[in-house]
Amino acid sequence: MTAVTARETAVTSADIRKRGRLVFVATIIILCAWVLAPIYLLAINALSSPEQVNAFPKSFVPGFETDSIAFFMGFAGVARALFNSVLVAGITMALSIGLGAPAGYALSRFDFRGKDAFRIMVLMTRAFPLPLLALPLAVMFIRTGLDDTALGLALVHTTLALPFAVLITFSLFAGIPVELEEAAWTLGCTRLQAFYKVVLPLVLPGIAASAVFAFVISWNEVFAAAVLTIENRTLTAFLLQNINVSPMHLKFAGGAVLVVPALIFIFAVRKYLFAMWGIANR
Amino acid sequence: MRKTTTTTLAAALLAGGAFAATGGSAQADILFWSTQAAPVEETQAMRGQVLSGFEEAVDYQATDDRGPWLTRIEAELQAGSGTIGLLGALHGEFVSLSDDLVDLSDIELGDVTVNATFQQLGMLGTGEQKYLPWMQATYIMAANRQALDYLPEGADINALTYDELIEWARVLAEETGGPKFGFPAGPQGLKHRFFQGYLYPSYTDSAVTEFRSPEAEEAWNKFKELWQYTSPSSTSYGFMQEPLLTEEVWVAWDHTARLADAFNQRPDDFVAFPAPAGPTGRGFMPVIAGVAIPRTAPDTEAAKALAAYMLKPETQVATLRATNFFPVVEVDLPDDMPASVRLSGQAIARMANADDANPSLLPVGLGEYNGKFNQVFVDAFERIVLAGQDVRQVLDEQGETLRSVMQDSGAPCWAPDEPSEGACPVE
Repeated sequence: MTAVTARETAVTSADIRKRGRLVFVATIIILCAWVLAPIYLLAINALSSPEQVNAFPKSFVPGFETDSIAFFMGFAGVARALFNSVLVAGITMALSIGLGAPAGYALSRFDFRGKDAFRIMVLMTRAFPLPLLALPLAVMFIRTGLDDTALGLALVHTTLALPFAVLITFSLFAGIPVELEEAAWTLGCTRLQAFYKVVLPLVLPGIAASAVFAFVISWNEVFAAAVLTIENRTLTAFLLQNINVSPMHLKFAGGAVLVVPALIFIFAVRKYLFAMWGIANR
Repeated sequence: MRKTTTTTLAAALLAGGAFAATGGSAQADILFWSTQAAPVEETQAMRGQVLSGFEEAVDYQATDDRGPWLTRIEAELQAGSGTIGLLGALHGEFVSLSDDLVDLSDIELGDVTVNATFQQLGMLGTGEQKYLPWMQATYIMAANRQALDYLPEGADINALTYDELIEWARVLAEETGGPKFGFPAGPQGLKHRFFQGYLYPSYTDSAVTEFRSPEAEEAWNKFKELWQYTSPSSTSYGFMQEPLLTEEVWVAWDHTARLADAFNQRPDDFVAFPAPAGPTGRGFMPVIAGVAIPRTAPDTEAAKALAAYMLKPETQVATLRATNFFPVVEVDLPDDMPASVRLSGQAIARMANADDANPSLLPVGLGEYNGKFNQVFVDAFERIVLAGQDVRQVLDEQGETLRSVMQDSGAPCWAPDEPSEGACPVE
């Protein structure tokens, strides 16, 4: 009698564990599909002929027609625009981390007058829509010679990315106990050495994540790029305004051309991102 | 880890420096800053087939988004120096820039005969030639040949009325298993032009003055009737060529350039025909694009030469092939034009030469109020047709908005409304 009950209990608990696992796996599958399905659809449509793209029902196997993609590769100026995009995004990344990380550190470690006001004010740069700012900015840029340069555009993008860089790095530094730094000081480190040897290795993955964020903000920005650059267009400004009025198959191909470089970049820095999540789990 | 990051950053900055050093030298091309021919294939064709024939290198940049286009030229005008040599845009888009455009009346066009009406429009009500007409288009109807079997008894496809169109759409919806009429009511669609240039002129012989008249009420009720037999996906359609090609839609109204792909890909499966007629005629709206030179152009003479080149008959034919916009100068079309040109050209000619033709102009003189003006019609459509609100009430309320838009802009009436002293009134 008792044996039977015990076995029944064992069965149900195993059953529950099995179901829990099922839910877990299902969630993972849904999350993956959430991300992968659009990319997959983009890929097969970019690799299909116009007839296949317009056909219904859709095929789930690409036709391996590279005409649409080849069109973009042959579109005058794509290579240069791609280079400009990477360049602008790179400078934006460097500037927003170079300025944002020290600001975040100061916010987390020091008390100073107007600290709270600063934390709010840093968000204010996001309060004005770019179409409003673009005209006076463009006038100023034309007058100062920053117009149509990668640096000029990167400055604008840095303004957009900076609030996030400051706030993300602030919470990163705030998450590192100040005692760790103090311990390093008692063991003979200077303030700078303690930062380099103790704090930086701990926050580097997080900084990398906010750098990726800055990169993506710059990569996706269209309006300022379209107004402030002419010869040195970024890829987004170059393609996005033309793609939304183009035929379906070229929309997909153009979308792929825009997405793939960003995907490659994120893939390249993924180990920093995974490392950050590792910290979060600990 | 740190080392790689630093190296990457250093490399990026180094590249930036190197780039900045070389960037400034290559800037001799004439910059052609355009809102037309923005779809990538058309841009490509403009560069490769139209502008490559000009003696100097031209950098053709097109955007469909008026925001950056206008912001950029305004910035150059304010800064007092610029890179844009030639502007290409629709008639209405030049109006707000009128004071900053160079007079083009001294351009030597040789033996080219430009359409006189369009040339007059290009003066923008001043004594100077503010822009030169560049190309024209209009909106027509297209149908899949399968749909012709369901045409109402006695209806002539080249002389349809709105009632016949509604009847046709009803039969199609009932006998083919679903609505087959399509309308570009999506965010990228040109639905406001249908109301301004087709529905209103056909029922009220007006677009502004009679906005809230009983005839307008009838027009909206007719459109509501048509909407019952219209594909519900219409609210997402931008270019009707796509649903026509997928056969989601069999009958549609759109801009000729936005139907061209369907005609070109399957010329034997589609027919083009004139827009339907109402009690006050067959309303239709020609679209005119022009070229102009801003006062900040780096090289005005080169830009003028380019403007003259754009009007040469050979260039006009090449432009037609590239963009599906028709010539504005007298020209003999060669026989080997694409199917879309043949089909739409015929439909346009039938529409313009119909006994009951009632052409209207794109809104004139609204300047920055263009968007608000269009919004009045879009809002009326969304409230009456999509939200099912009372037609009378919506027209009264939208009529007030329209009146204030007209008064703020001070724009006098344009065809088909009777000319007015001062701002065009809303009765």
